[in-house]
Amino acid sequence: MDFPEFSSGIEDKEAVVQSLFWVGGALCLVATILPLVLLFRPSRLLRQAALWVLLAGTGAISAAAILVISRSLDLHLTLLSITPQLALSFRLDKLSCFFVVIIGAVSFCAVIYSMTYIAHYKSERSKQFLASGLAFFILAMLLVVASSTTFGFLFFWELMSLSSFFLVMFDLDKPETQKAGIFYFSMTQMGTIFLLASFLLLYRFTGSFDISAASNIPQWGKGLVFVSLFIGFGTKAGIIPFHKWLPYAHSASPSNVSALMSGVMLKVPIYGLVRFIIDVFRPDLWWGIVLLFFGSITALLGIIYAFKEHDLKKMLAYCSIENLGVIVVGLGLYVIFDFYGLRVQADLCIYGALFHTLNHALFKSSLFMTAGSVVQATGTRDIEQMGGLIKRMPGTGAIFLVGACAIAALPPLNGFASEIMIFQAYLTSFSLGRPILEILLMAGLAALALTSTLAAACFAKAFGIIFLARPRSGAASAAKEAPFAQLLAPGILAALCVGFGVFSYQLISNVKSGMPLPDMLPIGIIVLVLTGVTFLLLLLTRSPVRKTETWGCGIPSQTGKMEYSGDGFSEPIVTVFKPVFRTRKLSTREFYDKYNSIPKSSSGEIGTLKFFEERLYVPIARFFMKIAGAVSNLHNVDMDALILYSFIAVVLVILGVGWWL
Amino acid sequence: MNWNTAVYIVMNPLFALVLSPLVLGLIKTVKARIQGRPGPPVLQQYYQLRKLFHKEIVYSEDSSFIVRLGPYLGIAFMLTASLFVPMVFIPQTGWFGNIILFFYLMITAKFFMVLGGLDAGSTFGGMGSSREMTVSSIIEPVTIMSCAALAFVLKTTSIPEMFRTLLAGSIFSYPTLILVGISLFIILIVESARVPVDNPETHLELTMIHEAMILEQSGPKLALVELASGVRQTVLMALLINVTFPWGLAGLAGCASLLLAAVTMAVKMLILAATVGLFESLLAKIRFFRLPDFFMIALFLSFITIVFELLR
Repeated sequence: MDFPEFSSGIEDKEAVVQSLFWVGGALCLVATILPLVLLFRPSRLLRQAALWVLLAGTGAISAAAILVISRSLDLHLTLLSITPQLALSFRLDKLSCFFVVIIGAVSFCAVIYSMTYIAHYKSERSKQFLASGLAFFILAMLLVVASSTTFGFLFFWELMSLSSFFLVMFDLDKPETQKAGIFYFSMTQMGTIFLLASFLLLYRFTGSFDISAASNIPQWGKGLVFVSLFIGFGTKAGIIPFHKWLPYAHSASPSNVSALMSGVMLKVPIYGLVRFIIDVFRPDLWWGIVLLFFGSITALLGIIYAFKEHDLKKMLAYCSIENLGVIVVGLGLYVIFDFYGLRVQADLCIYGALFHTLNHALFKSSLFMTAGSVVQATGTRDIEQMGGLIKRMPGTGAIFLVGACAIAALPPLNGFASEIMIFQAYLTSFSLGRPILEILLMAGLAALALTSTLAAACFAKAFGIIFLARPRSGAASAAKEAPFAQLLAPGILAALCVGFGVFSYQLISNVKSGMPLPDMLPIGIIVLVLTGVTFLLLLLTRSPVRKTETWGCGIPSQTGKMEYSGDGFSEPIVTVFKPVFRTRKLSTREFYDKYNSIPKSSSGEIGTLKFFEERLYVPIARFFMKIAGAVSNLHNVDMDALILYSFIAVVLVILGVGWWL
Repeated sequence: MNWNTAVYIVMNPLFALVLSPLVLGLIKTVKARIQGRPGPPVLQQYYQLRKLFHKEIVYSEDSSFIVRLGPYLGIAFMLTASLFVPMVFIPQTGWFGNIILFFYLMITAKFFMVLGGLDAGSTFGGMGSSREMTVSSIIEPVTIMSCAALAFVLKTTSIPEMFRTLLAGSIFSYPTLILVGISLFIILIVESARVPVDNPETHLELTMIHEAMILEQSGPKLALVELASGVRQTVLMALLINVTFPWGLAGLAGCASLLLAAVTMAVKMLILAATVGLFESLLAKIRFFRLPDFFMIALFLSFITIVFELLR
């Protein structure tokens, strides 16, 4: 203790934090078990009680984490130690608690949302399962970021992956869910293997499983560990080219789960990256360049894919990929600036990346929740079947609009508040003095600028097509407003989006003073005042208001089919970025006569090549299938060959043991 | 907030607001004269606005609060953005001036216009919105790159600071700014929806971008939208003028110097407006999907500026 006179106070706080943490964890565990107690006689009461318990649990853990951050505590707790080396122990410091707060707060809202959302599923059994799985998933995520050993980290990481896998497989009758599940499972396991490899390598060099500063690692070993960590974490965070599971899994799972997966689970690998970059290693320059490169590509391609998508939840998922790219760009820039000792810019980037992590968690989970309500109300995920929903679901629409503005990085909301930190770092990097590197940075800057406006275009399209104009289908015109809990949860998050945007300067200066950032509060006030003044001035004109039909070039009555469609909206950008989309246009025409003048039949098709799936994933899968085929050929043999196999195996073992000893 | 800042906050947006219809009118007159027509009076835009403020508002039955709220937010965000570019005098200090925030405030204004275009369910509106968003997405890397070029040359990201540095030096200390100036001119043409990017004169569906998007606005709401796009143009012109030719900008507020600075700025603005009118008359509209090539010129020039600055 640095301050002996306060030591008793701090110990008090530590005791409080400790008990809150354990109680919260225990409550989450209780919430996991509770719905499953009477599995054969599912009861609504137990399920609802479990959700309330879970609410209390996430609340308690968040409170503990906030306490740690505000008092700058650093706690070590141990749950279980198998051997002194292999222990499930936790460390609550500022960084891990920042992520605990994100997970806790978003989960809190997701649980509120689930209270009514779960009810719309048909089977009672599956409802119980969903409530239980949700609790376990949340608990696992909380414990991953709190873990202080690589052993515990990997243990809870696997629990998190498995529980989320079961939640993705919730609607397992649908073929798309099965595809999503297989994709998710195989990719997340691949990621885990890389993590395992890097943790074992780290153990080989440091001789300990603790996540703490690692020194005396040879240069090549450090690089190897980093690459392995990057692939492992990148797979989970949806960094392109390891992203393919993400749109499938997010669209197939129930909306409360996708809100959690996208809003929160994607942040866990970010925690891992930050922890290892800041605390464990002293990063090399090329780490930063790798992160910057993949981050920029991910951000740009993510939003370009999102723009084309007309499955609402897939679009949001691609948008998550984009935002994760932006966060990784921030981390990469931090490494680069830190390497050259540009303190201000490095601080801007790391705090920008962390702030964007928080902001993305807020607006993305809010968007996923409102999207879930929309999907629930219309029964479809295709935005071309929606339209006019703002009149039928005004609350959901307004919350979605706030989320859309935030994710589109419009000032003075929070999405902009964090992106400007990264922009600011880019623009003030003139003191770097390394021309070649600087040119690379400028390419990254252009990519980031394009990304953020494309996000604005994407969400103008999403909001416009889903909520504005006329309904495009019967289901959309019969949509009903979501129940109160499903408005409250995303509403809280949307309010936080506005708050963290407008008060971003004050918040950031609280954490780190002297950041060269604009103050958003006066901007917010002036915009509000100007809007009000214009409104009042316009009242003075006393213009009469008339309502009439939309002008349609004299067509007597228009229908929803005549409106501009989502695909129509995205067409110009798709054409501009044709090389990226790799659009395939096929058209065939048949004719009755040889002069090709009387058409018989024709067909046209426009599709996009799924580049990564068709050129990267499938070839790799084919390669492994080939190996598997070769191996399975070894199995289909007669008795003699099998005896030969065991003979060879025994010889190999004997030789191996002899060599080892 | 001191007296100096208070005067600035009131004066700068008002200056843009009052001057923008004149700038629009002058461009129209120059174009008409080149085409051999007498053209409308230079003050026609003011009459137009007065007329619009006295007309009724017509809403579509299909529209929602977005189309009603959009024009207010549009003009509010534009006027807030206009605070970021000192037009008459440079305020002492302030929370405004960040060049990135400036361009993003303009995007926000545009975002609500785009939503307004989609709100009535008209195909024209949708088409206009889609094209407007496309153009502004593609121009954005160019814009930010020009910001970066300015920041690299003048070593600051605050617009008032940039102007102050420029006033203290001469164009010969920053020759690369001429290149950035060309970039900013292209950005000005794009953002104010002029030939060769868009044609403000027509309502033909093949050419229109901005005009299609605001087709469903009427009466005083249309006037607000027109004012907002006028302010957008004026502010960008002021940025271009002050980057390439800042002299005449008052350093501090004083009554006489303010008046002189305002007149100088107005004259410079009108000269630039005449240039824009000439530029428009000399070019034909570019095909929509050829626009990225046009923007590439600006991107290239900004990039070259940065490279020059790095190698200096």
